[in-house]
Amino acid sequence: MKVGLDTLLFYLFAFIAIPFAYGVLLDRKIIRAGFLLIGVFSAISGLFLLLNAQFLAMAQIMIYAVGITLVVVIALMLTNPKSEDDISPLNNWNKIPGIVSAFLVFITIYMSLRAENWTVRNPGQLMQDNITRIGIDLLTYFSLPFEFASILLLVAVIGAIMLAKQEKEITQNNSDENFDKEELTSEDKNVIKV
Amino acid sequence: MSSKSNILGLAYILLALVLVGLQADGFVQNLLANASWNHVAAEAGSRPTFLLAPDLADVITAFVLAGLAILAIFMGANVAIVASAGTIFSFFVLTVNQEPIIRYMTLSAVLFVIGMYGMVVCRNAVRVLMSIELMLNAVNINLVTFAKYIDPALMRGQLFAIFILTIAAAEAVVGLAIVLAIYRNMATVDMDRFNLLKW
Repeated sequence: MKVGLDTLLFYLFAFIAIPFAYGVLLDRKIIRAGFLLIGVFSAISGLFLLLNAQFLAMAQIMIYAVGITLVVVIALMLTNPKSEDDISPLNNWNKIPGIVSAFLVFITIYMSLRAENWTVRNPGQLMQDNITRIGIDLLTYFSLPFEFASILLLVAVIGAIMLAKQEKEITQNNSDENFDKEELTSEDKNVIKV
Repeated sequence: MSSKSNILGLAYILLALVLVGLQADGFVQNLLANASWNHVAAEAGSRPTFLLAPDLADVITAFVLAGLAILAIFMGANVAIVASAGTIFSFFVLTVNQEPIIRYMTLSAVLFVIGMYGMVVCRNAVRVLMSIELMLNAVNINLVTFAKYIDPALMRGQLFAIFILTIAAAEAVVGLAIVLAIYRNMATVDMDRFNLLKW
């Protein structure tokens, strides 16, 4: 049996991704788990390159490996990563339902994949200029979902700001009696106006 | 304690290597084809029927590897080493004789299941969100695989993957903002103490 470069690289990336994914779950220090996430996403972007999805590979690195991981790490730093020890520990017997259900789901997916008779087209037909193709499709056939995606991102950003911002007004209402107007800076005036 | 757990982990890796070698050599398949307990009585002249088909030798090897991994963990082995090694070897055994499309989709299933386990078991809310990102990425692998092998002319799978990327970014931002808001009110990120809506 001839082993191609594709196969070797696939197993290389797979063998990188799986331990890193376990590291995300099992690492005692959660901040390190956040950085291990970068390893998983990078390995998956390598898989995308193997699958002739160059645009997605780059987008994966830019959005997941840099953007989302950065947000996750910042959130970890804001929520005091040392408090991991305070979190109620889970004894081994409580993990068993999780392990069993995960194992059963995997076996079900795998056996159904194996039993299916896949009609594989010739991968050589994949267009060489697939980035051009994606751009044209996004702005013609998929233009409506594309616009919805932009609205969704806008709403998500506004919602995240509203959820995460400091609620200054409430603290000021609580201390209304000894509220001194002369000590206000211009910044505080803006907050009150809003 | 630490050295003992590491030695147990290494022992598990060696044992798993032996098992994978035996499976690659056709040992398990021959065992299943020739063992007397595996034959179901059939009429003379017809094809022999098996309790466990010899084609499923790789699945059975993977089951044995998983069982040994659970045994090693309960004996006190290093959980990260044994779980990673067991998953890697089982994944290799299960996919090495299959088509590329099945290989990619099995990898996607493995990552999805790891993410699902983390989502169910982890107590830290941020870790749960990380597990969800893992699951979304596994789905992306699946879609890109479809784009290459099933639908190479139109590549709709890649477009779907782009939209999933967008949704994942929005989900991460909103989820982490919610975690921050709850942390500000309750000073904890423990999922067990998020019981504001409980009555």
